[in-house]
Amino acid sequence: MSGQTKSFVKGVKVSEHHGAGEWMAERLSSLILVPLTLWGLWSAMQLAGSGYAGAMAWFESPVNAGLLALTLLVSLWHMNLGLKVIVDDYIHRPTSRGVLLALIAVVCLVLAAASVFLIMRLALGSAPLPAGFGA
Amino acid sequence: MTSPPPVSGDDQSDRPVLQPNGRPRPLSPHLQVWRWHVTMAASILHRISGSALSAGAVLVGIWLLALAFGPECYATFTGLSASPLGLLVWFSLTLALTYHLASGIRHLVWDSGAGLEPKTASLLSGLSIAAGLVLALAFWAGLFISGSVAL
Repeated sequence: MSGQTKSFVKGVKVSEHHGAGEWMAERLSSLILVPLTLWGLWSAMQLAGSGYAGAMAWFESPVNAGLLALTLLVSLWHMNLGLKVIVDDYIHRPTSRGVLLALIAVVCLVLAAASVFLIMRLALGSAPLPAGFGA
Repeated sequence: MTSPPPVSGDDQSDRPVLQPNGRPRPLSPHLQVWRWHVTMAASILHRISGSALSAGAVLVGIWLLALAFGPECYATFTGLSASPLGLLVWFSLTLALTYHLASGIRHLVWDSGAGLEPKTASLLSGLSIAAGLVLALAFWAGLFISGSVAL
């Protein structure tokens, strides 16, 4: 996979840059997401209409909190890869492309960090926000 | 059709748009000249549903935020979610999710090297559209029948 020499596997030239890795990552994340999505739909069914008390009770289970965090993290990883493909397809000017990809990565990272933080608070039964933030 | 040919360097790639003979460089045919077929529709729907689910991820983040801010904030969130517009948004996201799931499985089958013959590929595409619709409708039928959601 060196940048200079072309290498071949079964007569097919292998990716010289990061294309193959991204392709594999997209497939790996989607494989993981198949069961997690079905679990997510089943969970949404239980959460819908259950109100504040019902949702808080749902978060008391570490399995629920853990699986939700995992689902969101893998989803955001998959979302970053998917949006990158769309940008690669339609945006060719290097500056616009770079800015958009950076923006998408930041949005995904912020969503991931915020989700994990909020899920931990809910799972630990912390007092409603803004408790702990000056109130 | 009637728009003047763009001048050189006018497209995103900065490649010359005019050929040396002064005519516009031929471009690959765009969407509107293709006869629609089911694999093409399923592919476009896969991208649209994926983009919609990105907005859905933000909405899930807002759900977590509303819940973490306590009962009153959560009541506002569920009130908006249960409004006709809110239900339409959640139904659309459910459909995007079930379709993207079914269509994604179709892609995983193709990636294994199977199902790539035109007839099978079309069948798989039709099946993912049907499966996405059926799953989303069954999900919401379940919500309405159990009384979790009411209009």
